[in-house]
Amino acid sequence: MIEDKVLCRCEEVLESEIREAIQAGARTLHGVKIRTRAGMGLCQGQTCQRLIARILAEETGQSPAEILPATYRPPCRPINLSFLSGVEG
Amino acid sequence: MRVVDHPILGKLPEGRTVEITFDGHPLEALEGEPILAALLAHGIQRCRTTVKRREPRWFYCGIGRCTDCVMIVNGIPNVRTCVTTVGAGMKIETQEGLGRWERADA
Amino acid sequence: MHEVEIAVVGAGPAGLSAAIEAARAGAKVLLLDENRKPGGQLFKQIHKFFGSKAHYAAVRGIDIGCRLLDEAQESGVETWLNIPVWGLFGNHTLAVIRDGRAQTVRAKKIILATGASENALSFPGWTLPGVMTAGAAQTMMNIHRVLPGQRVLMVGAGNIGLIVSYQLLQAGGEVVAVIEAMDQIGGYAVHAAKIRRAGVPILVSHTIREAHGREQVEAATIVQVDEQMQPIPGTERRLGVDTVCLAVGLTPLAELGWMAGCGFAYIPDLGGFVPLHDENMETTLPGLYVAGDITGIEEANSAMEEGRLAGLAAAEALGYLREEAISRKAEVRQRLDSLRLGPFGEKRQRAKERLLGECRGQLAKQEPPDVSKSCQDLTRSRITVVTGVLSLEELAGSPGYPSQERLRSGKVAVIECMQQIPCDPCVGACPRGAISIAPTITDLPVLDAEKCNGCGLCLPACPGLAIFLVDLTFSPTETLVAFPYEYLPLPKVGTEVEAVDREGHVVARGRVVRVQNPPRYDRTPVISIAIPKEFAQVVRSIKRSGKR
Ligand SMILES: Cc1cc2nc3c(=O)[nH]c(=O)nc-3n(C[C@H](O)[C@H](O)[C@H](O)COP(=O)(O)OP(=O)(O)OC[C@H]3O[C@@H](n4cnc5c(N)ncnc54)[C@H](O)[C@@H]3O)c2cc1C
Ligand code: SF4
Ligand code: SF4
Ligand code: FES
Ligand code: FES
Repeated sequence: MIEDKVLCRCEEVLESEIREAIQAGARTLHGVKIRTRAGMGLCQGQTCQRLIARILAEETGQSPAEILPATYRPPCRPINLSFLSGVEG
Repeated sequence: MRVVDHPILGKLPEGRTVEITFDGHPLEALEGEPILAALLAHGIQRCRTTVKRREPRWFYCGIGRCTDCVMIVNGIPNVRTCVTTVGAGMKIETQEGLGRWERADA
Repeated sequence: MHEVEIAVVGAGPAGLSAAIEAARAGAKVLLLDENRKPGGQLFKQIHKFFGSKAHYAAVRGIDIGCRLLDEAQESGVETWLNIPVWGLFGNHTLAVIRDGRAQTVRAKKIILATGASENALSFPGWTLPGVMTAGAAQTMMNIHRVLPGQRVLMVGAGNIGLIVSYQLLQAGGEVVAVIEAMDQIGGYAVHAAKIRRAGVPILVSHTIREAHGREQVEAATIVQVDEQMQPIPGTERRLGVDTVCLAVGLTPLAELGWMAGCGFAYIPDLGGFVPLHDENMETTLPGLYVAGDITGIEEANSAMEEGRLAGLAAAEALGYLREEAISRKAEVRQRLDSLRLGPFGEKRQRAKERLLGECRGQLAKQEPPDVSKSCQDLTRSRITVVTGVLSLEELAGSPGYPSQERLRSGKVAVIECMQQIPCDPCVGACPRGAISIAPTITDLPVLDAEKCNGCGLCLPACPGLAIFLVDLTFSPTETLVAFPYEYLPLPKVGTEVEAVDREGHVVARGRVVRVQNPPRYDRTPVISIAIPKEFAQVVRSIKRSGKR
C-alpha cells in the first residue's frame, strides 16, 4: 500500500478519498468533484485535475482520452469570482 | 535571498523601496515586486495555514494559478501574493484557514 | 463593449508574433494578457536559444522578448496587460476584467495563445513549503531576483528540468541532484552536459518518494524504479535539501477553447487534450484560431512560427495581405517543418499531422505513433542520452571532432554536440566557414578542422555551450583548454584553479591564462586555462569558486 497523500491541494482531499469515491460510483471528474470536493477549490482544479484523471483512468480502466476535463464554465480564473460577486476592494 | 549579482542579468538595479508590514513587523520591499518576492527575500516561508489539516503552505506555481500563496492583504483574505504587487504601507498577514474579513471601518 | 478586428489572448511568444503579423498586415489588433508584463515564458528564459540563426537563435529568451515587444509597439498592436480573459462565448466574444469591472470584447477573429500549465506530481509531503514547480523557481530567481532555496532536488530531466537546474546554479543555488523516472534524460544532452560539468548528478530511473519536514522541506527520499516504474525496495536514499522543484511536463492550457466548444483531440505526444486546428491554425469554430503551447507543447521557436501563421491567416481572412498571404504562410510552414525534424521533433511532427488529419474529419486511425525510428536515432549515441556526458570513444567518432593529427598541430575547435537538435548558430559564427550543418538544421555540426584556426568565436555563439578550444602546442608540458563559463565570480588571470572533467570531478590543477568577455560574446565569457598535457581531452571546465 502506497502511503496516502493529498491530491487536491486546495480542498485537501486525499488520494484514498478519491479512490473511495470512484469505488462508490464516480466515473467522471465531475463525479469525483461533487463527492469529494476535489477540484472545487480556489484554483478550480488547475493543479489537481490531471492527477485525478490519472487515478480515474487507473481505477476504472478508461483511457485518458475518455476522461474529459470537468465542464469549463466561465470564469476560468480565480480572481474573477470575487469580482463577479462584487466583493473585491 | 535576493540575487544581488547575476552572470546574465547583472547587478540588481537599485530601485526604490517601500515599507510593508508582515504580521505586524515592518519589512522593506522593492517597489514593483510581488508581495511573495518581498517575503522570500526576508526568509519568510509560509503564507497560510490550511483549513482542514492546519498545514503550512507557501508558494507552488509562482504565477497566480494554484492559489497556494494566498494571504490576508490590507484586510482582504485570499489574495494571491505571487501576482500582487507591494504597495507602501501594505498590511500583509498570514492567513489562518479561510481567513477573516476585516471590517472596512476597523 | 470594445470592438476590434482581431483579439489575441496571451502575450507569450506565440501571441506576440500573431499580433505583430496581423497588425503589420493592416488589421486592428488587441493583445490581452493576465500578466502585468507581456512575454509569457520568454522573460524567464535567460539562456541563449537554439534554432536557426535567421530566427533569433543564440539570442537569449529575455532579449527575444524585448524585440518582440518593440515590434508589437511599432506595428501598432494595442496591448492590455493585467487583464485576465475569463470567458469566451461563441467564437467572437471575450469576457475580461478591466478597471475592476467585467467587460466584453467583440472581435471578428480571435487567436488563443494561452500557453501551457505545468503538470503536478503528488507524493507525501508535496504540499510542504519548499515544494514548487520548476517554473515557479524560474520566475522567482530570473524575474523577481529572489532565490527560492539553497539546496535543490530537481524532479524531471526534460529540457525545463535541465535548464532550470542550470539557472539555479547561475543564481547562486546548489542542485543536489536531478532525478528522472525514465531510463534516460528527456532533454537535450548539451543542456545536461552543462550541469554535469558543474558537478550535478543526474540519476535516471529514480523518482521522489517523500518530502520530509515540519514547517518546510528539510529532506527528500528518492528511490530507484524498475522498468514498470515501480519503486525498488531497499534503494531509498535520503537527500538533505530545502527545495524540491517539479519539472514533470506541461499541459496545454485550453480552458477558453473548451468553453467556446471547439473540437479537441487527445494526443499524449502534444501534452494531452489539444484543440483541433487546420493548416491556418483555425479551430473547428470558424474565426477562432490557436497558436503556441495551447496547440501542443513545443518550444518558443515553434510557438513564434505558429503565432505568425495564425496572425497571417486571420489577417488574410479579413481581406488583408491578398496574394502575399500564400507565399508568406508557405515560408512560415517551411520553417515550422524544419524545426520538427530530427529524433526530438519527429514525434511532434507526426502528432501535428494527426491533429490536422483529425481536423479534416478524416479521423486518423488511432495507431500508436511509430517511435521506432527516433529510438534508433537516439540509441546511436546512447551514453550521451542517459546522462549527458560523452565518452571519449563517442567523441572520436563525431564529425565535430578534429583528428589527432590536427590536434597535435595547434589550436583548434572541438565540438561536443552529438544529437540531432534544431540548432545552427555555430555555422554562422565561424568567420572561416569551418563548421557546416547540412542538409537540414537538425544534422550534426561537421568541423572542417583544416579551415579552423582556433579563433574561438564559435564558443560563445553555441547555446548548448558545447564547443571548446584545445591547444596541445601551448607549451612543452601544458595544454590550453578554453571553455564557456557563465557563472560568477569569473576567475582572475594568473590564478590557480581546479580543473574538472565532463562530470565535474576535479582532475588536475590549472592556471587561468585568459578571460574573454567582450560585449559581442553576449554574457558568455570564455576562460582559457593551462593544464598538464595528459588532461587535454578530459578537462572541460573549472570548479566554481566557493562551491564544495
Ligand atoms: C516553466 C517553463 C519553462 C520553459 N522553458 C523553455 C525554454 O527554456 N525554451 C523553450 O524553447 N521553451 C520553453 N518552455 C516552453 C514554452 O512554453 C514555450 O517556449 C513558449 O513560451 C510557448 O509560448 P506560448 O506563447 O504558447 O505560451 P506562453 O509563453 O506560456 O504565453 C502564454 C500567455 O498567455 C497568458 N494567458 C493564459 N491564459 C490567459 C487568460 N485566460 N487570460 C489572459 N492571458 C492568459 C499567460 O499569462 C501567458 O503570458 C517553457 C515552458 C514553461 C512553462
Ligand atoms: S574556432 Fe574559429 S575558426 Fe575554428 S570553428 Fe570556431 S569560429 Fe571557426
Ligand atoms: S554545436 Fe552548433 S548545433 Fe550544436 S548546440 Fe552548439 S550551436 Fe547548436
Ligand atoms: S488543487 Fe484541487 S482545486 Fe485546487
Ligand atoms: S504560488 Fe500559485 S498562485 Fe501564487
